[in-house]
Amino acid sequence: MDVPILKQGDYLIASILGALTDTALTRLQENLVRSVRKYRSKGVVIDVTVLDVMDSFAARTLRAITIMTRLLGARVVIVGIQPEIAFSMVQLGLNLEGALTALDLEDGLAMLKTADTKEQDRLRRHGR
Amino acid sequence: MDAEMIIIDSDAGVMCARQKGRELAMAIGISGSDLTLIATAISEIARNIVQYAGQGEIEFRFVEGRGKRGLLIIARDHGPGIANIGQAMQDGFSTSKGMGLGLSGAKRLMDDFEIVSEVGKGTTISMVKWGRSS
Amino acid sequence: MPLPSPHIPEKFLTLAEMMNISEQELERRKQILQFGPEDEARLRKLAPVSEQYADAVIEAFYEHLLTFDEMKAFFPDPALLNRVKARQKEYFLRLTQGDYDLEYAEHRLKIGAVHERIDLPVKHYLGMYNFYLREVWRHLFEIDRVHPDETLATFFSLMKLTFLDISLAIDTYIDSRERTIKALQQEVIQELSTPVLPFREGMLLLPIIGQIDAQRARQLTEHLLMAIRANRAKVIVIDITGVATVDSRVANHLVQTVDAARLMGAKVVISGISPEIALTMVTLGIDLGPVYTVGDLQNGIEHAERLLGYRVERIPEACGDRHGEGT
Repeated sequence: MDVPILKQGDYLIASILGALTDTALTRLQENLVRSVRKYRSKGVVIDVTVLDVMDSFAARTLRAITIMTRLLGARVVIVGIQPEIAFSMVQLGLNLEGALTALDLEDGLAMLKTADTKEQDRLRRHGR
Repeated sequence: MDAEMIIIDSDAGVMCARQKGRELAMAIGISGSDLTLIATAISEIARNIVQYAGQGEIEFRFVEGRGKRGLLIIARDHGPGIANIGQAMQDGFSTSKGMGLGLSGAKRLMDDFEIVSEVGKGTTISMVKWGRSS
Repeated sequence: MPLPSPHIPEKFLTLAEMMNISEQELERRKQILQFGPEDEARLRKLAPVSEQYADAVIEAFYEHLLTFDEMKAFFPDPALLNRVKARQKEYFLRLTQGDYDLEYAEHRLKIGAVHERIDLPVKHYLGMYNFYLREVWRHLFEIDRVHPDETLATFFSLMKLTFLDISLAIDTYIDSRERTIKALQQEVIQELSTPVLPFREGMLLLPIIGQIDAQRARQLTEHLLMAIRANRAKVIVIDITGVATVDSRVANHLVQTVDAARLMGAKVVISGISPEIALTMVTLGIDLGPVYTVGDLQNGIEHAERLLGYRVERIPEACGDRHGEGT
């Protein structure tokens, strides 16, 4: 079962549903990168609210997604990391280098919008 | 309860072992973030089995010690074994691959952790998460 | 050739061991009920008769049980009901098969634990046993009216054994409740010693007082992370004014707490870093990472408020200035 990717304007939203197999996670990576390119998305929100375990494989994959997506000019926000997951991640020393994090989908989208607005202001001021 | 065993030979086995670990830990009153720590430690160890040995097994038992109840998890494989355990256990975050990260991480997540390995023969890891009271 | 096993802690547990029900304990319970070899013999003799009316007793029992609405909810589908009836029959027949040893006790404990886990109320559990005893008496009396003394003695043997079963089953309920209570107590103690205070909307204040060891750091972090979720906090102010010593281990705990909070989308401000602590940290090469650190709580809070978009102004008139300031 592939993780569904929704398009919301300039942004893509991928909501991970429950126990994620390795193949599904790898396919998510491929699909997201493809979609970012296709839609020229400015940002991606990955919702891990329902993810049961964040191990080194999952963290690596999310990091890879972040790096590849950034190369395509889009930001990544990971949202919905639960207290138990955050706790185990720091114990394992896992980090999501470069990815922004927010509490939930709402905050994540707000973060992307704010960042985009700031960037547009900056570009306007410097006369593009 | 007699020991329960999960065969690990694919990522389906990894997920199965995670679920079983969670379920059994709950049965002896372990709760909250400890459940996630257990599931995460199992995930790391089980992945190593699939990646390096192709196949192995994870056994679950209830144990008693220090006046508390605990969940003992024994992961066995007959894979290549680890030549230098000390080195493998060192934190290798920057490399972000290789057995090191899984092992040292799992050790930090569990309460007790022991590993025995021999090149060419295999690896056995036993780890325990204790409940809060007896 | 098998590898040498790593040291496996102490021993593997059965339910009986987990609940401290040993051979002696089982013996003691039998003594209390005055249950001995003669009782076992009488019950064994009852076995063929038992098999004869087992089905009738089970049917009658469930007919009675299902007159209660709250019990109907436990059996939503007939397939489940049939499975349960089959198990009950096994249980019932086991009563007259002898060998009432630790293995028997373990089996009874398992049954009790299962019922406790599905939240079967004690009153219904006891009602079950009561029903069995009355039904069995009726059947016994029908079968043998000629030897009332023997019949009564047999019934008493069954009653003793049933009470043994009840004591084991009730113990599983009590054990489970006790574990829950202990766990809740621990939770409350932890929460009281690591208060996380909602300050403004989106801000949490975490004043830490005393020593921070690994255990306390864990509790603190867990508590904080839950509070971030519950309060949708965006900024955390951790005040360490009251922390006795900050060595590399404590600093590590702090770093981990900060990292975890950030994974949940919160920014962290650490206040209360005295010049001594600052010096210690520099000397030890401790790097708290991208965290805003300040000397005192007030500055910490003000910075946090700025991060949230607040600006605080003092209104002199409002305080009825005694010293005639700001007029």
